Amino acid sequence: MLLKGLALSLVSSTAWCILFNVPIRTILAGGLAGMVGWLVFSTLPMMGAEVLLSTLVSASVVSLLSQVLSILLRVPSTNFSVAGIIPLVPGSLAYKAMLAFVNNDYMGGITLATHTLMVAGAIASGLILGISVFTIWRGARHAGKRTQRG
Amino acid sequence: MSADLVMDTCLLAGTIILKSGGETYRTEETMTWIAEAAGMDDVNSSATPTSVILSFRCQGQDHTRMVRTPKRTTNLNKITLVNDVSRRFVSGGITLSEAYRTLREIDQMKPIYPKWLQHMAAALTSGAFSMLAGGSWLDLGPSALAGLTVNLSMEYFEKFVRMKFFTEFSAALFGGMISLLFVTLFPQLHMSILIIGAMLPLFPGIAITNSLRDLMAGDLVAGVSRGVEAMLTAVSVAVATAITLWFRG
Repeated sequence: MLLKGLALSLVSSTAWCILFNVPIRTILAGGLAGMVGWLVFSTLPMMGAEVLLSTLVSASVVSLLSQVLSILLRVPSTNFSVAGIIPLVPGSLAYKAMLAFVNNDYMGGITLATHTLMVAGAIASGLILGISVFTIWRGARHAGKRTQRG
Repeated sequence: MSADLVMDTCLLAGTIILKSGGETYRTEETMTWIAEAAGMDDVNSSATPTSVILSFRCQGQDHTRMVRTPKRTTNLNKITLVNDVSRRFVSGGITLSEAYRTLREIDQMKPIYPKWLQHMAAALTSGAFSMLAGGSWLDLGPSALAGLTVNLSMEYFEKFVRMKFFTEFSAALFGGMISLLFVTLFPQLHMSILIIGAMLPLFPGIAITNSLRDLMAGDLVAGVSRGVEAMLTAVSVAVATAITLWFRG
């Protein structure tokens, strides 16, 4: 089950890379980012985390991984993070929300729509968190070099 | 080094990044780096998602120019290449005229993947995502076909409709109708899985990522406008889904 999910997330992220004209040498790395994101996203609930937390953590992992990959491969990190968040997209929640609205279940629809928005917000904050952590780490490294020199 | 060539090179680099779907902060930084590395003083650059302005001082004379970039696509390869050129120029690896020539080549470059491969990729990502969302092997083919329809109709409508959101809405509606057709023909398929897979090629991933990165970099105007772009796309997809579900009754 886990293996199937890993393979599917790899395929779906890699194909998404092609859709956005990502350079050939970084396609697989983008797929890898998606796969790692999915791995974190699907293993955290087994340890008792709820959807929002696991989305937040996996989005930050994807963001951090993209920053590291962007330094290793010397390309902009957008190449990886765009594909990496694909497996986290809250598609079924959004679908359920629309279904509830169409069936005149406005209360259920609003609940589900809010949930969808919260998950989207978790993806966004996760991405931001990853970038921020990385910036702090890089700033600290630069500061360390400066004191060594001085 | 002539100021005109510096201006042309910077603006070309900036417009390529912006046209290919890059962040505005990257556009501004790249132009500033190139101009400063070329020895210009008092360099200021400003970019919005649709225009680029650059101004600098060269031997006591001010130069300012502005370029509009009305048409935008997503081509991360070009952004990577421009990034590479600007990095090499700033580190002194190539001269300004070489950089300009390379940028001209990048600007004329066709997408690295042919159209059919991109449509296949859309089908593949739809199919794989629908299975990730809990579908069975049965759902793979139909949702891949629906995703392919969405991507094909996007390309087709783009030629006639100038409004991006209406294009997305129509493409989503087409994808929804194909899913509906499949579910009516084969009742053992799941409507939810098919729709989720079909709408994935319309997911505004690049708009969301760019909006966040621009906001983080302090480019508030660009960040907010990209965020609104992502939201409008999401809304048009949601409305198309609602109409499809309403047809189902």
